[in-house]
Order: sequence, then structure tokens, then C-alpha cells
Amino acid sequence: MSNRTGRGQGFGIALSAFVAFAVGAVTALSLLLGDNPALFGDQPGSAQLAGLLALPADVLLRLVTIVVALSIVIGIANLLTTHVGRLSRGKFYSAVLLASFGFTVYWYVTRRGDTSLLEAVQVPIESALAALLCLSLLHGGSRVLGKRADIWGLLFVAVAVIVLLASTPIAELAPVQAWRDWLMRVPVGAGARAMLIGIALGTVVTGVRALLGQDRSVRG
Amino acid sequence: MDQTTLQVYAVLFVLATVLLVYTARYFQRRGKRRPQRRMLSGERVSEWTSGAIEANRPLHLALGGTAVGEDKTAIALAEAEFFYHIIQRSSASDIPPILSTSAPSSIPLAQDTVRRAWSGGDTLSRARWYPGDLAYAAAVTGMMEAEEPAAHILAGSFGPELALMIDSADRRGQGSLAVSDRLEGQAVAYAMADECLIGEELFAAAGAVTDDGRAQADAIVLDVWRALLIMGVTVVLLLEVAKRMPWLNWALVLSVSAILIVFGLLIYRRR
Repeated sequence: MSNRTGRGQGFGIALSAFVAFAVGAVTALSLLLGDNPALFGDQPGSAQLAGLLALPADVLLRLVTIVVALSIVIGIANLLTTHVGRLSRGKFYSAVLLASFGFTVYWYVTRRGDTSLLEAVQVPIESALAALLCLSLLHGGSRVLGKRADIWGLLFVAVAVIVLLASTPIAELAPVQAWRDWLMRVPVGAGARAMLIGIALGTVVTGVRALLGQDRSVRG
Repeated sequence: MDQTTLQVYAVLFVLATVLLVYTARYFQRRGKRRPQRRMLSGERVSEWTSGAIEANRPLHLALGGTAVGEDKTAIALAEAEFFYHIIQRSSASDIPPILSTSAPSSIPLAQDTVRRAWSGGDTLSRARWYPGDLAYAAAVTGMMEAEEPAAHILAGSFGPELALMIDSADRRGQGSLAVSDRLEGQAVAYAMADECLIGEELFAAAGAVTDDGRAQADAIVLDVWRALLIMGVTVVLLLEVAKRMPWLNWALVLSVSAILIVFGLLIYRRR
């Protein structure tokens, strides 16, 4: 019995890996080679062939968009399930959340799409949090040297001080603004690009892993 | 560069990556293992994991706004792999870790990751969705109070709201590791978290917390591409500089290179 279960599981893994590989390969080839008639020379019908090659990626990506749009329902279901579970353990805040959810839906439906409740509650609370975020950032910035007592921590603080000073409207600090502009243009620009290139390389390697059916989500 | 050339280069790049992934995995499997570049304090993660087990408290693993089905799908998959190994390490605990995300499409991935790595049951309720940005930070800080996680591993797409979460964790004496694919979040992670990874290290982090050869092989491929990229950029830069120096010629460049190689070999042999 367990042998049969193991074989069934193995078949399921192989099937999911094959489907992942097939869909991934078709989409990648369709994206890489499609929609460019010049790739097939000046042959008659090359535009049609290029369009045909681009079709699978177009269809699959549209499908993904629909699935992602529907996933908000999963999110709401997850939130409600979690808080119903917590409510059974006597958590008061979960009751507040569930009541707020029900009341907001009732308000939206009975007032024909009126979002004033959201604007009256959500926006001020988020604004207050944004103000709190400013304090948290300052607090965190003040402790950088405590956490990273090295040359890089010192550099981090020095740059933060220059950028802060340059943001003040004091005429005597005009040269600092030039430093700030240079910092933002050269080192920050270079660092941001390096980070993005690194992430792009990582994306390609992970994408290839998924394309080959080697990712854990399909490997089992 | 016209579109056709670009497409050909893209296909070649993907094929070269496939070849590199298979080669690296082959060597790792054959036992010719190359140690991974040190990037993350594996001891720190072990410390948090064993601390969570001893204190009977969960770990909190956050995906942030990384969504499956968008341009950050690969980041979500890399994080899931990283989290899988961390959850496996803490599987001796009675309380499963909590995975939070602000992208609804990542919930199935989070649930699947906990289910695969955790054998103790009660896994579906451990993947939680909270609305994004500041609301996410507020919900996570609330969860910190209610569930008292031992540590937070925040790896994903975060903005400045990361500061609220790390600050709150710090005040409660809970450890934090953070990395973000967004520049603002990365700056906050560097300044405030106990441990931080930078940029593409997110993709190699799984290899740092496990002995699994496949994860380490992927990290090596990443290192190879990075080294090739650095060499390419350096060569282009040198060629550009050389154009502005009329006294520079190939004989001089070759002579200096030969001297540097000899010096390098001498130093290498002495070490």
C-alpha cells in the first residue's frame, strides 16, 4: 500500500515537474523569439510566424494576470480564517477586525460604493503611522554606530548627515547641496544599479531553476 | 543594438545559465564541493532557531510584498527556498513558524513552504496575509505583541515601513535579519537590523543555512556570473581609459600585466 502511495507521489512530482518545464520553456521561447519578424529574414509570412510564436506567452501571461487578480479573494479568506481561529481563543482584537470587516462591507453595499468610511478611518491612521515611521527611522539611524561600529557604519552616518544638512533651507549650506547632488548621482546611482544587476542575475538563476522543474515547489 | 541581436544574446545568456547550473550541481553532487562565499552569519540563524525551540516561541518569516505571478516571482521562489531550510532547522519545536505576506498570490507558496518543511501539522493557519505597506507593518507589530516570535527574518520586498517592524522587534528583544529588493528598504535593513543581506545575496541565502548541494550550486552560479560581469565591466573601463592616454600601448600593458602576474604568483606561493 505504502509502495503504491510512494509510486503515486513520484508520478505526481514527475508530472508537475514536466508541466512546469513545458509551460516555462514555451513561455520563455515565446518571449525570447516572438514578435520580431526580422528574426526570420525577409521570408513571406515571417510576420505571421513571429506573431504565432508570441501567442503562447501572451495567452499564459493574461491567464496569470487573471489568477493574480483573483488571489485577493484568497487573501481575504486567509485573513478571516486566521482571525476566526484567534477569536475562538478569546482574542479581542480579532473580534474588532471581524466586526470592522462586516461593517465596511455592509456600508459599501448599502451606500452604493461609498468609500468615505475608508477615507475617514484608514487614511488618518496610515498618516499617523507615517509620522511614527519618521521617528522610527531617526531612532534607527541614531543607533547605526552601535550596531555597526566599523568604517561602513561611519560612512553611512556621514552620508546621512550630508543628505539631511543639504535638505535644510540654509543659504550657508549651499556647498553641501552640491555634495549631496554628487552623492545621489554617482555613488548612490552606481550602488542602486549594482544592486539591480545582482537581483537580475539572481532572478535569471532562480528562473532557470524553475524552468528546469528543479524548484522545490514542483520537486516535492 | 537591434532587437534581433538582443534576442539572440538573451537566448545565449539563458542557455549559458542552464549549462552553468547543471555543471555546478554536477560537481556539488560528485562531492567536489566548493565552500560558499560567507555572507550570512549561519551561527546567528542557528542561535535564533535553537532559542525559539527552547523558549517554545515561533519564528517569524516575512515575504513582504513579493508577489508570485509578477516580476518578483523569482524573488518569491528564492525566499521560499531560504525559508524552507530555516523552517526545517526549527522543526524540533512545538510551535510552527509564522509566514507573513502582503501579496495574496504568495499565500499558496507560503502555505506550501510551511507544509513541506514542517511535519507537525497546523500549517495552513501559519501563512498569514496582511494588507500592504504601512498596514502590513502595523499588523506585523501587532503580531509581535500577540505571538512573541523569537526572531524575525524579513526577506522580500519592503520599503521604509521596515523600520517600524525592526524597531518594534528590537524593543521586545527579538532578533532580526532583513533584506529588501527595494533601495529604501535595503537602507533601513542595513541601518537597523541585527543581520542584513544585500541585494542578490537574497538568492544565495538558502545555501548559507543548509548543506544542500543544490542550493549552494545556485549560489556558485550567481558568483560566477558576477565575477564575469565585474571582469567585463573592468575591461570596458580600461579600454575607455586607454583611449584617453595616447602614450599607452599594448607592449606596455602586456609588460605590466606580466610583472603583476609574476608578483601575484610569488605572493600566492609564499602564502
